[in-house]
Amino acid sequence: MKNFFIILITKILYIILKIAGKNGGNFLGKLAYDWNSNIFHYFKIDCPIIAVTATNGKTMTNNAIGYVFKTADKKVISNIEGNNMETGILSTLLKSCSLTGKIKADYCVFEVDEGYIPIIFKDLKLDTLVILNFFRDQLDRNGEVESLILKINEFLKNYTGNLILNADDPNVARLGMANSENNNVYYFSVDQYDYATKDIKEAGEGKFCPFCNTRIEYEYYQYSHIGKFKCPNCGYGDNEIYKFATNVDLKNRCFNIDDITYQIRFNSIYNIYNFVAVITCASLYNIDKEIVRQALSEFVLNNGRLEELEINNIPTIINLAKNPTGANVSLRILNEDDSEKELLFVLNDNIADGFDVSWIWDINFDTLNNVTRIITSGTRAYDIAIRIKTSGFSPKKIEPYLDLSDAVKNLYKTDTKKYVIANYTSLQPTRKEILNFNQ
Amino acid sequence: MKELKILYLYPDILELYGDFGNIQVLRYRLEQRGIKAIIDSYSIGDIAPDFTKYDLVFAGGGADQEQGILSQDLLKHKDNIKKAIDDGVFFLLICGAYQLFGKYYKGVEGNIIPGLEIFDYYTEAIEDRKKRCIGNIVIEANLNGNPTKIIGFENHGGQTYGVSSPFGNVLFGNGNQFGALDEGFFLNNVIATYLHGPLLSKNPELTDFIIKYCLDRKYDENITLEDLDDTFENQCREQLLYRFLNVS
Repeated sequence: MKNFFIILITKILYIILKIAGKNGGNFLGKLAYDWNSNIFHYFKIDCPIIAVTATNGKTMTNNAIGYVFKTADKKVISNIEGNNMETGILSTLLKSCSLTGKIKADYCVFEVDEGYIPIIFKDLKLDTLVILNFFRDQLDRNGEVESLILKINEFLKNYTGNLILNADDPNVARLGMANSENNNVYYFSVDQYDYATKDIKEAGEGKFCPFCNTRIEYEYYQYSHIGKFKCPNCGYGDNEIYKFATNVDLKNRCFNIDDITYQIRFNSIYNIYNFVAVITCASLYNIDKEIVRQALSEFVLNNGRLEELEINNIPTIINLAKNPTGANVSLRILNEDDSEKELLFVLNDNIADGFDVSWIWDINFDTLNNVTRIITSGTRAYDIAIRIKTSGFSPKKIEPYLDLSDAVKNLYKTDTKKYVIANYTSLQPTRKEILNFNQ
Repeated sequence: MKELKILYLYPDILELYGDFGNIQVLRYRLEQRGIKAIIDSYSIGDIAPDFTKYDLVFAGGGADQEQGILSQDLLKHKDNIKKAIDDGVFFLLICGAYQLFGKYYKGVEGNIIPGLEIFDYYTEAIEDRKKRCIGNIVIEANLNGNPTKIIGFENHGGQTYGVSSPFGNVLFGNGNQFGALDEGFFLNNVIATYLHGPLLSKNPELTDFIIKYCLDRKYDENITLEDLDDTFENQCREQLLYRFLNVS
């Protein structure tokens, strides 16, 4: 009865929020969760639940899976705004359920914060879990990566649903061994791309084999510690691949899987991995390949994740980077583009960003390709300016501004192509400031 | 051309909190002054280095899990390290490396990771894993008689006791233990500290203090270092000291 009232009240509040033109974020979920933390139990969900977790790429992949399924005329419930903790998932369910807690949909697709998988799916039956990668991320808030992986490993020991894993991340692939009884483990991988390297180029995790502590050997690195690896001692890393992307062509934004060419709207290696995960997932639910191909050729995300804009006719690319790998991937895209460009890097150290900004020293700023000026901003504008200067980029071409609107104003003093990298809390304010500048 | 030889210990293992930045800052400030920086690294599996042949030895912080593997390897070099310190080679040790140069590190389960026992201090983990000293930190250190504010970031569960000569007094943040008055360890040619950030990135005076020490020792002189353009560093310090200490 109590749960019925919780749902009733949150539904009324949701109507009020809607009238006020607000979305509510985590608010409804938080309210319900504080009232009854066991409320997940109450929902009647008959459709498969698919969850996506990772350090980077959750929102992109979650939204792309949802988009593919919707293109196939399926009814999908999803936390597309990226509220990915227990209260966020709960908000999404509360908005979509009937008063008796019934969810009417063909699929629930959720992005879930890495730390919340065991909490949320204690009471909700998970059909498919997609795990993309694990990188160092806000160490002062999240702790070391290893403890996070161990928590998920513990959860997977009793899990028998589909498990879609990135075979090229040693920290992810190891989770396929968490439960030897689970026959539903599917690995995906991407063939060596043009900018892959023999040595690691950016900070990475998982240097030692999780099973025998031997140093892991790589045939090549795609980016960070993602690549073709194997433990020379126990052979870990030699997994059977279910979906393998080949002929990766970032210039033309396409790749092949099973003789089909997928055209996409993004030009980064890490997005290829996201989309191969999407294709793997769609394949498990027998979504028509042609529909998947078409959906991925249309899919874009207009929220500052590799968003391409024209500001006063100046091409501008905005990307979120909340950890070294995110920033390194953005710089990869910048360096793979030979045209002249300017960079704006916005760095905040608010609670949600983590107070520790030392991660910027794990960003590889060496040999920036044809960057003629760098503007820095955010509450840590000077820290990032020092970082870039120390990498050898001339300080005369670096301009720090604590004030974001000053930074944007000065960025658009020239009509050179712009790349914008912003961390978590700075992304939307930066995006807004830039969009406002468009006349 | 003058040169400094730097030995970077376990760069692939003690590399969690951007401590590699310290090496980059050292190299930058040396090269800007026309001094060559020779940077060698040593990690598990490499041929043993002769620590006494270097001017500066650096080691950073790493993941808790890897600390044990490391201690076993480090202990193999104990006598050579001790000799290098006695000879006057400068040692800059951050976080995990700071702990490993003391008597021991006692983990949450009571397990003891033996240290090099070169110094008397020892470190014990706090029982509650979630409790760590995390945050921005400002200390005041005495560098050749000049009181200098040092800005960094600390993130450590270990509480270090028995420090006879600390690196500095805590003005903001925790230090050697929760709410401690002192931070780190500083004796002649050894600075050991919890400060990440990376430490040298926002503290050019400290960096130059170390560089001057190494050059004076190597070339038997009393060098005056050429000034560098520290505009960003000074702006950064001014902004952060105001934020943390309310002083300008």
